[in-house]
Amino acid sequence: MPRFPKPWSKKRGKRILGHALAGEAGELTFYAGLFLIGVFGFSLVLINEVAPESVSQVPTDALSTGLGTWVFGILSLASMLTGGVTLLYRLARIGASSERRSAIAKMAGSIDMIGPTIDDAQALPSVPKGSAITESPGERLTYRLAAEKSKSGIAGPATLALLWSSAWLVLLAVVVSGFWNGQPRWYLAILLLPFAMISVWSFRFFLNQFRQFAGIGPTIVEISSHPLVPGGQCDLFISQSGRLNLKRLTVLLTCEEETFYRQGTDVRVDRHEAIRQVICKERNVAVDPQGPWEQQLQIDLPDNVMHSFVGTHNAIRWKVVVSGESQPWPSFCRSFPVVVHPPDLSLKRSPR
Amino acid sequence: MNVTLCNDDGLYRAGGELSAKWRISRVPLDEVQGVEVSVLWHTEGKGDEDLHVHHFQRLAEHQLRRAGLADEQVLHCVLPATPLSYHGRLISLQWCVRLRLFLADGREIVAEQPFHLVSEEMARPHSASADRVPVALPKSGGAARGKVLEHAPAS
Repeated sequence: MPRFPKPWSKKRGKRILGHALAGEAGELTFYAGLFLIGVFGFSLVLINEVAPESVSQVPTDALSTGLGTWVFGILSLASMLTGGVTLLYRLARIGASSERRSAIAKMAGSIDMIGPTIDDAQALPSVPKGSAITESPGERLTYRLAAEKSKSGIAGPATLALLWSSAWLVLLAVVVSGFWNGQPRWYLAILLLPFAMISVWSFRFFLNQFRQFAGIGPTIVEISSHPLVPGGQCDLFISQSGRLNLKRLTVLLTCEEETFYRQGTDVRVDRHEAIRQVICKERNVAVDPQGPWEQQLQIDLPDNVMHSFVGTHNAIRWKVVVSGESQPWPSFCRSFPVVVHPPDLSLKRSPR
Repeated sequence: MNVTLCNDDGLYRAGGELSAKWRISRVPLDEVQGVEVSVLWHTEGKGDEDLHVHHFQRLAEHQLRRAGLADEQVLHCVLPATPLSYHGRLISLQWCVRLRLFLADGREIVAEQPFHLVSEEMARPHSASADRVPVALPKSGGAARGKVLEHAPAS
């Protein structure tokens, strides 16, 4: 029995499910449809504004008020622009080999107004410049490294806890007023119990994050030279402040492979630690606000390791990782990215 | 389609020069629409593919007629300093010379000759540190015929 062709394709690893051409055709149809719907909607708005008597047969629910007309007009315009621009972009990609597209992109990138200057871009292509790392000078050593942004902030859990608790209190007020007026709302009253459990969970999650945020002081990492080079050495200064009794404190130098890939409609990230070098490992470390834990260490980078690399979907990242296990505070792990250049090619940099 | 590298071991020093010869045989000139020759790196592995062309040359039908399709053509380019070849668990970064032939009936034939871009230390013959390379470099013969892939017409 012949199969109806699917208007989409899916990439699973190296395999492509469905026909690639069907996927492209599906995308083109979708964006063309979006553009045409936008044109139709925008035309209705224009006709309604310019010659309202000519659209007397059109249902005027959406167009009757001034605000409705504007909202409808803006949505139509957005749909027209999104559909049109994306359609042109997709059409331009058809019929060109991946090498040719990359060569065109490279040529466009070499124009001063669009991309970085040729000197900058071609010195070490696909190696992160790491200029942000050398922006702030250190107190003990040459540079102070910036920490990687923490994925779990405190604003999100606080908002969740606050909003959920507020919603629960409003529902409670509705239930109580129902009982008070002799019209009890039993379904709502029963729903209050699971809602209260979610509220308690969100509040505990917020407290956990808050304890981590407030109890564990800042971690300072300074480095004597940057970028690092395979086979080279450099000094490292670590300072951990706060009020903590750490069961274990570890300082690592890691090289991580990071890949992004699409699985269906999701974009997933996978990471693998290719190299893990323990620089320092200490047990039972006491930290108090007057006496932060401070250590001067040394990094010996192995020979013939891969340099830092950043592509569109793949990256090789080097970082100094400071992690601690503590009680009653939750454990913490802070990463400080560094850049490793290939040997013999490192740019000569002024330390300050 | 045949791509031959100038180095037999397929190892090229970063910033060094690459020379390669390519030839297309047993394809009538009337059936060829164009040829693209590129020196590029691309990634393989779990993630979506990254591809970057370092050197690109497109020969249209009339240029091929002038150059002679059956004659051996030469490609010269200076390689960049990075990214170096890498073979890890999630990511492999591979350099290659890629030859893409466009036929009049819409088919595309691709031939690839991989090579390794390495640091100066690794490129040195009998380098003592080459044994400690954490990345395993698969062998690639300099004069080997490239991997040939055939693509169906787009329409």
